[in-house]
Amino acid sequence: MKRILGTLCLVALLCGRTAAAEQVHLTWFMWSGTEPEVVAWKHVAELVTRRYPDITVEFQTTSFPDYWTKLPTLAATHRLPDIVSLQSLRSPGFADLMVSLDERIKADKFDIDAFDPSIVKGLSRNGKQFALPYDFGPWVIYYNRDMFEKAGVPLPQPGWTEADFMRDAKALTKEGTFGLAVSEPDAFMVFARSKGAHYLDAKGQLDLNNAGMKNAFAQYVALVSKDKVAPVLPASGVQSSSVANGRFTSGNAAMYVDGPWQVLNIRKKVNFAVGMAPVPVREAGSITLSAGSGFGISTTSAHKDEAWMAIQVMTGPEAEQYLAEAGRAFAARKDFQKYWYDVAAAGVVGAREALPAALKTAEPYVTTPNWAVVASLFEQYAPLAFGGTEEPGKVLDTIQSLANQ
Amino acid sequence: MAALHPRRRRSDLRAAIPFLLPGFLGLATFLILPLFASLLLSFSNWQVIGQTRFVGLANYVNLFTHDPIFWGVFRTTLLYTVEYLALNLVISLAMAVWIGSLSWGRQLFRLVFFLPTFTPLIGISLVWLLMLTPGGIVDSVFATLGAPVPNLITSPAYALQVVVIVSLWSHFGYNMLLFGAALETIPSAYLDAAAIDGARPWQRFWRIKLPLISPSLFFGTVLTTISSLQVFDQVYALTRGGPGSSTTTLGYAIYSQGFVTYRLGYASAIAWVLFSVIMALTALQLRLQRRWVHYDI
Repeated sequence: MKRILGTLCLVALLCGRTAAAEQVHLTWFMWSGTEPEVVAWKHVAELVTRRYPDITVEFQTTSFPDYWTKLPTLAATHRLPDIVSLQSLRSPGFADLMVSLDERIKADKFDIDAFDPSIVKGLSRNGKQFALPYDFGPWVIYYNRDMFEKAGVPLPQPGWTEADFMRDAKALTKEGTFGLAVSEPDAFMVFARSKGAHYLDAKGQLDLNNAGMKNAFAQYVALVSKDKVAPVLPASGVQSSSVANGRFTSGNAAMYVDGPWQVLNIRKKVNFAVGMAPVPVREAGSITLSAGSGFGISTTSAHKDEAWMAIQVMTGPEAEQYLAEAGRAFAARKDFQKYWYDVAAAGVVGAREALPAALKTAEPYVTTPNWAVVASLFEQYAPLAFGGTEEPGKVLDTIQSLANQ
Repeated sequence: MAALHPRRRRSDLRAAIPFLLPGFLGLATFLILPLFASLLLSFSNWQVIGQTRFVGLANYVNLFTHDPIFWGVFRTTLLYTVEYLALNLVISLAMAVWIGSLSWGRQLFRLVFFLPTFTPLIGISLVWLLMLTPGGIVDSVFATLGAPVPNLITSPAYALQVVVIVSLWSHFGYNMLLFGAALETIPSAYLDAAAIDGARPWQRFWRIKLPLISPSLFFGTVLTTISSLQVFDQVYALTRGGPGSSTTTLGYAIYSQGFVTYRLGYASAIAWVLFSVIMALTALQLRLQRRWVHYDI
């Protein structure tokens, strides 16, 4: 009996060893803002192990702004995770940390055409693909339907104009509440593009202080300083888009501009009916920008083949359906966007009309390699204009000169 | 005792080395090595990603001659230091004297005022941020009182004052405790004798108490100067150096050049400027102390 037991133990031990030797442990670094997001991403990591039992993916996270601080630090200390998350706005600055996926896509005959082409392009640099996308989407207007109905204002529809928008914003601005919550730089860039102004020159260089941009920024600032339909923004440790999100979800502002990736966070927080509309038609039309994110393989990963297998699962059909239904992602895979409409945005008024309308006129959000700096300078200097202590045009001059320093 | 045998001295050294080594290794690994690494970095254009080159003094030249905000940042840091140091010393000393004069509740008050010192500054700053946010509780208090005060945190004229207030609120307790302890060590015979000679309370404070606690005052001044030149946490959490560059201090500039712009060579150059300023000011204070610090009771 003892011998049998001993043999059994030995067999168990050996089995355990072989299994352990084959196990590959991958690390994956990703940003997240709320607990529901963390739960969603951990589920995506589990999907990899479910598909390949010998691969485990460890989810590591931090907030979005900190992510872009920590990533270069990890790179500098040669501790990059195997799987790196990349947002299209940051592709020019961060693609160097990741390996090109082109050869693997070709060798495996991976169907990259299943994804929306604009975000596939957004996650590439100089014609090389650096990440597989999981989501994308245009910036749209989120609105508080209860506030609109209470104020007797008609709900925004695709094709609504700037005049409609201003009328509504004024009608919704009352004691303690505002029509709109502004933020920058993204929401402002969308505003500027609709005005026909461009933040990059013909060569793709940063060009914030051209006449068109200055004019657009002055009008954007006027929403706060002159029309007073939006509250003042502090230059604080909190990103202005998070401040705007907070004002909207707490019922302090009736509208704000953000992307479809926020549906999960918004719906978990609010106790009112949420609606969605494309940005209003301004001088150049209802032009918006679109951006998205995906996963790639770090240059220093010791398990590049396994990481490639993992990111295929993480952006694969099952993950895309899950993320779309959870409202974390407007799926980058064209066939899976229906789940986002059917489940995540089911209660969101106008989502089905707003997103396709916005996508029709959306431009990919093209940026410069130092976009993180530009964004941080906007957060720091734009409040001078909103607060009325400096001319909006001069603020753009400052940001332009500091960004190119 | 003075003329030890040389061999004896050598054997002492041999015995001392193993005892000194752990401390020295820690000092070397965590202080001396990083210090020199950052000095070397300040002569490079290291940007984390991409090629690194030796650029000589270019970072320093750029900092002093081309950087559009450096001198403003430098001024802000000095302004903050002077204002914070003066207010901190006055408030903590006044509170220490007041608490010392109480007949009951001394320990309680000391504890209450010391509490913020060991509360994380980031947490404190976030609570202040909530109160100071546009339309927040501070704004509504001013509005109720009818005071024509703009929102403090969005106004470049007042934002630095917010940083000073938050720093004072959270840190004056340390000096208060320090000065309070020093005041208690003053032999009451001195004060009694002075009182008998007809010295008024104000005179007793200026002529006896203050000179006798001058070593503690000096210690508090040096440490407070150093910590206020390095101010970072409050700025990071409250204003991120804004609006504009109105609250950007050297500490915050190092962070933003290093971890927002990723110009770590340039950030190291600013760090060395800050280091030199702190060294110079501390040396100056040590020199000046001879004139006003009395170590004999």
